[in-house]
Amino acid sequence: MDPKAAALIAAGFCMGVGAIGPGIAIGNLVGKALEGIARQPEAGGQINTAMFIGIAFAEAISLYALVVAFLLIFVA
Amino acid sequence: MVVLEHFYQKVIIPIKIGSFDISITNLTLSMFAGVGIFLILLVIFAARPKKIPGKMQVVVELLINFIRKGICFSMIGPKESDKWVPFVAGVFIFVLANNMIGLVPGTYTPTSNPVVPLTIALIIFLTVHIANLVKNGFKGYLKTYAPPSVPKWMLVIVVPIELISTIAKPFSLFIRLMANMLAGHTILYVILGLIIYFKTYFIAIAAVPFALVMTILEIFVSAVQAYVFAILAALYIGEAVNPRH
Repeated sequence: MDPKAAALIAAGFCMGVGAIGPGIAIGNLVGKALEGIARQPEAGGQINTAMFIGIAFAEAISLYALVVAFLLIFVA
Repeated sequence: MVVLEHFYQKVIIPIKIGSFDISITNLTLSMFAGVGIFLILLVIFAARPKKIPGKMQVVVELLINFIRKGICFSMIGPKESDKWVPFVAGVFIFVLANNMIGLVPGTYTPTSNPVVPLTIALIIFLTVHIANLVKNGFKGYLKTYAPPSVPKWMLVIVVPIELISTIAKPFSLFIRLMANMLAGHTILYVILGLIIYFKTYFIAIAAVPFALVMTILEIFVSAVQAYVFAILAALYIGEAVNPRH
């Protein structure tokens, strides 16, 4: 197979599989945050802030996969 | 292509000293513009500070209070954090200004070039290790890698993990900031470039509202990424400076 074609297929596969984990993680996070706010609405501000920090962490993992996909497309 | 100025650096005033190339590029101009606007606004708002603050001074006090109580007190603890508030405030405002200036059409986002976040991450890495050495001494610094509350048989696993995480933490700071800024602009150019690719204006009915929504998300992501960067910097400093259990 042409190496350029293999690199492009690998890039698509990489980003696709790499988005599964963070998707599950962010869904869990927001669900638990909503449960927490429903239990105690006064803590809404703190729970909101902690949720956003957690989302930024989980998002970073999916961006590692995006960087690998970019490397495959443009450098290999 | 003239529309891709977000992704390529254009040299505007070439300055070479020996073999060092320190030309003025569009990255330099965007950085000066972003940080300059922020600094001028801060100086104007807090020009003559009064004990009972006027309307404009409250904004600056709000920002500094947010950094002090929201970021530093919760991560470093109230006793040590007064030394570190200027550093964390500098990191936060620098990253926030550089992220936000990329939303103005025609500018270059300085934090999307690998150089700028890498430099800030290296500065934070050096700060954390030197603060650890100065505060805890050399033996205390080595004890960071083998915490006393871990049972002895687990040290075989914990020490390599701690050693790898000294490289992984600044690297993840750098990659998180750079990839978030780069990805936002890439999505915008891909969506709006579909109009040029299909050579018809009917795509614009679907593409432009989507690009508008992505720009609003970009504003949000810029602010959140600056906040996460600052809070992680404060967390690493807090780990190094606080006494360990």
